[in-house]
Amino acid sequence: MENRNLVYVLTGIAVSLIVVIGGLVLLLSSGGGGDGGNGGDSSPTLAARQQGELRLPGGDPITLDPACASDIESASYIYEIFSGLVGYDKELQLIPDIAERWDTSDDGTVYTFYLRTSVLFHDNSRRVTAGDFKFSMERALNPDTQSSVADVYLDDLVGVDEYIDGSAQEVSGIKVIDPDTLELTIKAADPVFLPKLSYPTAFVVDKNQVEGSSCFEASWTFKANGTGPFELAEWDLSNAIILEPNQNYYLDPKPQLSKVTYLLSGGSSFTMYQNDEIDVTGVGKDNVESVRDPSSDLNAEYHISTTLSVSYIGFNVDREPLNDPDVRRALAMAIDKEFLTDNLYKGLLNPANGILPPEMPGFNENLDGVTFDAEAASDLLDSTGKKDELDGIKILTAGQGAAPDDVLQAITAMWEQNLGISVEVEQEDFGLLQSDLQDKNFDMFSIGWIADYPDPQNFLEIKFHSGSSNNDTGYSNPDVDDLLDQASGDVDAQERIDLYQQAEQLIVDDQPWIPLFYGTSSILVKPDVKGYEAAPFAIPSLRYVSVDR
Amino acid sequence: MPAGLASYIARRLIIVPFVLLIVSFVTFALGRYAPGDYVDIQAGPRANQETIDRIRHDRGLDDPVYEQYARYMSNVLQGDLGVSQNPRGVPVEDVLFPRLWVSVQINALALLFTWLIGIPLGTWAALKRGTWMDPFSIGLFLSFASVPVLVSVPLLEWIFIVKLQLLPTGGWSTDHVLGVKLGIFSLKAVLPVFVLTLSGVAGLARYMRSQVIEVLDQDFVRTARAKGLRGDVVVFRHVIRNAMLPIVTIFGFELAGLIGGSIFVESLLGIPGVGQLAFQAVTTRDYDTIMAIVLLGSTIFVLAMLAVDIAYGFIDPRIRSGGGLPT
Repeated sequence: MENRNLVYVLTGIAVSLIVVIGGLVLLLSSGGGGDGGNGGDSSPTLAARQQGELRLPGGDPITLDPACASDIESASYIYEIFSGLVGYDKELQLIPDIAERWDTSDDGTVYTFYLRTSVLFHDNSRRVTAGDFKFSMERALNPDTQSSVADVYLDDLVGVDEYIDGSAQEVSGIKVIDPDTLELTIKAADPVFLPKLSYPTAFVVDKNQVEGSSCFEASWTFKANGTGPFELAEWDLSNAIILEPNQNYYLDPKPQLSKVTYLLSGGSSFTMYQNDEIDVTGVGKDNVESVRDPSSDLNAEYHISTTLSVSYIGFNVDREPLNDPDVRRALAMAIDKEFLTDNLYKGLLNPANGILPPEMPGFNENLDGVTFDAEAASDLLDSTGKKDELDGIKILTAGQGAAPDDVLQAITAMWEQNLGISVEVEQEDFGLLQSDLQDKNFDMFSIGWIADYPDPQNFLEIKFHSGSSNNDTGYSNPDVDDLLDQASGDVDAQERIDLYQQAEQLIVDDQPWIPLFYGTSSILVKPDVKGYEAAPFAIPSLRYVSVDR
Repeated sequence: MPAGLASYIARRLIIVPFVLLIVSFVTFALGRYAPGDYVDIQAGPRANQETIDRIRHDRGLDDPVYEQYARYMSNVLQGDLGVSQNPRGVPVEDVLFPRLWVSVQINALALLFTWLIGIPLGTWAALKRGTWMDPFSIGLFLSFASVPVLVSVPLLEWIFIVKLQLLPTGGWSTDHVLGVKLGIFSLKAVLPVFVLTLSGVAGLARYMRSQVIEVLDQDFVRTARAKGLRGDVVVFRHVIRNAMLPIVTIFGFELAGLIGGSIFVESLLGIPGVGQLAFQAVTTRDYDTIMAIVLLGSTIFVLAMLAVDIAYGFIDPRIRSGGGLPT
């Protein structure tokens, strides 16, 4: 009796398996003709698409308040809705935005911006004046606003410190000459002052709307009244963000899309793309091979471009034995980056030789980086006599506790195989990782860095100057500091690039980072969408896009 | 209502605030003692430490935990649940309630189907005890229930969405029905409800089956049969009714579970429900949102348990006639 029951249970399981697997086989075998992903039947539940509408996958931004945004997702919405004195075009050239032009004093410390007189807020209530900029920047810097980033991007201005500590009622370096003229005075000449002004913290907001709101009071952002190429029509939490073109936009090209809908509720964007529910999707390493297959329908819609980002392993250079550059070099030399990009990332990332990514001004093709050589790595490590001290050191990474990233697993396996050391991967959630980095509570960590603006300063000075608060590794080299200081002074552009390249070479020689990979953006774009390019870093990009449908 | 029952309910109701107080304090303290806080996490990689510390101070995050807790609870009692950190600065109720409504819709529908299938199936399997149909059907459903959601969801998506194109992709869309935002009439609700039902049916059916079998073996059923009552009368009037008693407890739990979302199903299918929110809130140290979810969840749970106990009093004839109270 018992046995017979068991047989019946197993039969039940077997039947369900047969039904499921048989069904799958049938579906797979009928695959050839049935793959009508592009057939055009849009899902019955989506509202009918408007002519000229672009649909994008997205997520709720953390904030739409320009003064408060510190993450790329928020910034990418803000760049479409708001604007500032200067900006970047899609060739990554700094261009005049609300400022039509500007003069710089001979010593490079006084900037006079002449504003366009035609710029209106989206609600057409009034035009943007120099006073709006003074209000917006002071609001961002005001401690009551509680912005964590305003002082990072605006600290060049004279009088910021006095304003923040409360000893001054205004920022003395921001002067309204007349409604069309704004004068900004900075403490010392700074080649990246203008790039920093392209960041949302310097954007103009509507005083009538935001006055008194801190970064933790966001109700106004649901009706954000900006000046950018697109207007926020609706933000339905975790459902959709809808943008409509700003009919009075002042730069060319003007927005051509009739509507932009970001679908926020998530799900697999790749599947949504196949189902014609969205026009653009990212392609991860799981799908990229099928997309790249020349026989795939999706192949012609695939685009890959580089981004201004690098992923790396950082060392705690104050800790034994990682304070020895030879130990760090040996660890770097033992990693076969090409193998990782080819096999694990399927070519979605490029092996990194240095710190600066290829599209970045100052990228040095001839940089003498650390190349893979297992034997030399082992010899070098042996020569330091510190191999035993390496056993049991840990590498921190952001993760949720499932199996660690397969790339980190591969790297630790390479260390084990090539150097005979075992390194433990420790996953922490992002908050914990950040606080451990601040407290220098780590041996090594794995993370990435993406540009705020296309300038080598954004990577080299911020991550490697001994006085930078973003120097997580604790790296300190007086020669590097000296070069970086010279580069951020009043020097001509070519000399500046040379200085950064020299600094980068010294840094790479010391390997406080093992630069691993340069990022790419790998996307599918529907054929009737024109002009969509994945920007290498967050910039306003939708005004270049049109949809022929 | 018997007097005993009324005082019993009153006593239980008095305990509720204490339970909630303990739960809320433990949750609050756990959140605050976990490393990092929302200011840290959202400050961005370039923020200055002094600025972060200043904001943290301004927001009272460096006060002793009991002070922060007292402040929080006094706000809650005044109807202020605080602000969400994701999106930042939006009142918690504006983030939580729409998501709660989404989870409730899906869970209620799944619960309905689970019971509509599970109870008859379990009863049927018990009555077919000794034939091949009993273990076969249970085995069938068990194997469906054993497939992890992480496997079944992508598989079902591939079959129904990509291949057969019968369903739209994950996500959630709503229609306005009589002024109410409803998502369950959208085809997007099919997959989550299906997955949740599939994983619920097997458990319920097995439980029901064992209850029915237990009851079938009892003397009063044998007596009823011996008296010559028709088989279906015995089953419906005596067996199912008695077998349902312990099942009511499960129903209470599941009712309370209506407001909880499945983290996996919601995340995989992109459904903006409570499960997804809770996960995101924990990883971003969104204190006020976590607290609101926990407070609301535990309140409903405690009340549902109370309701179950009271329902026992009405359903169980032994309790009703004897005046005895469940313990």
